[in-house]
Amino acid sequence: MKKILLIIMLVFITAAAEEIFAEPSVIDLMKKVEKIQEMTTDIRAKVEMTQQKVDQGIKKIDMIYYRRDSDDSFLIVMVAPESDKGNGYLRVGENFWMYRRNTRTFQHVNRDENIGGSNARAQDFEMRKLTELYEPAKTKEGREIIKEEMLGKIPVYRFEITAKVTDVDYPKKTYWIRKDNYLPLKELSYSLNDTLMGTAYYRKYTVIDGRYVAIEMLFIDEFEKGNKTLVEISGISTEKLNNYLFTKPYLENLSK
Amino acid sequence: MKFLLTISLRNLLRQKRRNIFLGSAMAFGVMILITANSFSHGVSDIMFNKLIVYMTGHVGITFNEGTGRRIPIFRDKERILKVIQNNIKKDEIADVDEAIGMFCRAIGNGKADNVVVVGIDMSKQVSEELEKEYMESFNVVEGSYDDLARDDIENPVLLSRQKAESLNVKRNDVIRIRFQNVYGQDMAARAVVVGLMANDNLFMQGVLFVELKNIKKMMGYRPQECGNIQIILKNPVRDAVKTADRLHEALNPGPAFIAGTVRGAAKAGVTILPFMADNDSKRIMRESFKLASGRLDDVLAKDGVMIGRRLAGLIGAYPGSKISISFKPRFADKDASFTCKVNGIFTGPPDEEEKLIYMHESLFYKYFYSNLPDIIKDKDKAYIPPDDSPFSKALGTEWVLLDRTATTDDATKKEAQIAKKKIKAMTMDVNTMYETASDVLKLEGVLNLVTLIAVLILFFIIVLGVINTLRMSIRERTREIGTIRAIGMQKRDVRSIFILETVSLTFFASICGVVLAFIVMELLSLIKFNVVDNPMGILLLNQRLHFLPTISGIIFNILFIILIAAATAYFPSRRAAAMSAADALRHYE
Repeated sequence: MKKILLIIMLVFITAAAEEIFAEPSVIDLMKKVEKIQEMTTDIRAKVEMTQQKVDQGIKKIDMIYYRRDSDDSFLIVMVAPESDKGNGYLRVGENFWMYRRNTRTFQHVNRDENIGGSNARAQDFEMRKLTELYEPAKTKEGREIIKEEMLGKIPVYRFEITAKVTDVDYPKKTYWIRKDNYLPLKELSYSLNDTLMGTAYYRKYTVIDGRYVAIEMLFIDEFEKGNKTLVEISGISTEKLNNYLFTKPYLENLSK
Repeated sequence: MKFLLTISLRNLLRQKRRNIFLGSAMAFGVMILITANSFSHGVSDIMFNKLIVYMTGHVGITFNEGTGRRIPIFRDKERILKVIQNNIKKDEIADVDEAIGMFCRAIGNGKADNVVVVGIDMSKQVSEELEKEYMESFNVVEGSYDDLARDDIENPVLLSRQKAESLNVKRNDVIRIRFQNVYGQDMAARAVVVGLMANDNLFMQGVLFVELKNIKKMMGYRPQECGNIQIILKNPVRDAVKTADRLHEALNPGPAFIAGTVRGAAKAGVTILPFMADNDSKRIMRESFKLASGRLDDVLAKDGVMIGRRLAGLIGAYPGSKISISFKPRFADKDASFTCKVNGIFTGPPDEEEKLIYMHESLFYKYFYSNLPDIIKDKDKAYIPPDDSPFSKALGTEWVLLDRTATTDDATKKEAQIAKKKIKAMTMDVNTMYETASDVLKLEGVLNLVTLIAVLILFFIIVLGVINTLRMSIRERTREIGTIRAIGMQKRDVRSIFILETVSLTFFASICGVVLAFIVMELLSLIKFNVVDNPMGILLLNQRLHFLPTISGIIFNILFIILIAAATAYFPSRRAAAMSAADALRHYE
């Protein structure tokens, strides 16, 4: 009898241990990544992009970024270089315009319009949830691809995801996220034929209103070696933004 | 008349030196006119048959399935080709192509550059004449054009010598390219250089040519799908507009629907219809539908779905419940399926209540285009409300056919209006070179104008010469005029002698001018211009000036010159004829 009880206890203990020490599912991790970074307020921030291209040297692009998710709006006002100063990109709902200071004209543009001649595209500034765009990648056996490992000295989860919609830059991605707080530290982006296209390092985070915001990111172009872009975000404010900010006249008045 | 002509010709020979000089000037003018016109025709030939053919085609059918970004795709290639085949006569059409190209970043041996990759359909049979033209245009100097079709090489490409130099690659080297596929995803591929072109056409110098099936695969097209269509006509100037109009009429879309099975608690046959999201359509929907349950605002939202009351009862659906819809796509063996949430239950005629689901266009077209149903086959089993239904105008169609426009400006305005409307269905536009390649055509117009002005200046000078010569001739022959008038020659005959004299001189000078023009054109064609990275390169063919004289053009030019000369000669001749015989005989120098 004792033996039977012992076996039953062992079974329960093993099951509980498996539960406790089991790797979380990729979808859980994706949701956690979303949750710790999800901003529920309006945002204003200064974005500095330092772009290094082979044979072209270093180009610095500064912009002010305003975002209001309640009506899917954002505004980007270029501050530097001088040639782009006053230019801007305004998105309100489904309408997306590019403003050119020199001609004082607004032009309807696509989501994949490059911002200020940089590698960043307008769609990179949209708020789209990771779980709406991607799902866990699976092995032939149908298992999720997830691993625990060390990134330098930091314990991380490494997992792979694939796009479930067509309108994303990269159909496949691999993430390294911290085990303790689920912050992404590294991201590899692959093309459909598994060519590594880019690596992103999320180097610094700050906490704003209880949410983590990446304030220093390094994007390395793996296709054209030597090209890289450092993105630094500063002056983050979560105060409510005025309605007039997301209007064409505001953008026009800035350059007067 | 023969008598007058004889006198005129004799008079011409009397003043040999003067007439030779005047005739030479005229011949020179004719030579310039014929040469300039032939050059202008040659440029037109290059524009219409060598540039526009590759750039836009003479007639184009363009598609856009995206709202945020342009997605040039038509999901049923066979259908569009059939429409073209049925609506353009065989003797009018030279070729039909899929215009698929992409901007890429290319990396060669340690060097990178921006390139455009364009697909060529190597499997297509074209006429010998067209093939010869293609060969001349590509002018492959290293490797072989036919290697583009090889399957044992990874993405074979042809490129210009200039581009090969900028990428530091030679034949058999590998180029890596980065591009966005038709949906905007970043992609990378390898391509092997199989040939180099020595091309003087600036538009072709930056292009990498690959086999169409390879580029379609890279871009994410499925075999049954196609990109924009370019149609090359045998006589574009005559046929482009009327062909486009005919195609536009034939491409009128039918209603869009999905005929399938809906599953809730039970399953039933159903037809799903899209309603459009513009303000007018929303108003029509509000006025036309009453809901048994649910809110119309939710139905008209982006993911809005409303289902008939009887159907809802049949499958146990209610606002907030999820239903699953499956249907047979045209190009797949397996059924396609999707799930959506019901937002409202509508009331209406029994048939509609039992068989219909209305869906917001944003949601509908996503499933409709990704797994295109067999619209023609499914028509019999689908239930489509009659055309006179109050809400039929609010229902979506297979695609939205844009109005025809005549110029680039009109086409640009149309594009801007369409962008504002945020149409969720695919838009289809039928256009001609007059909208898509107007800048190239304007260049031709400018060249023609410059030629005309130059020739008019030249002829003004020649006309002065003719007037001066005639005046001198009349002055010198005043007494002779008096004599022939005195012995009975009529005024009209005197006038005719002078006019015939000028016309004869002009005619002979024109013949000499034509001969000279051909010699000059031949000589100019021998000069080889090494034009690199210069827009003027588009005026050359195989690095040489391209002259295209036409018989009708030459005859027209000769008649034009004779007419000018005769008109110029008329007034001095009339003055000579009007002289009284007595006054003329008294005339002394």
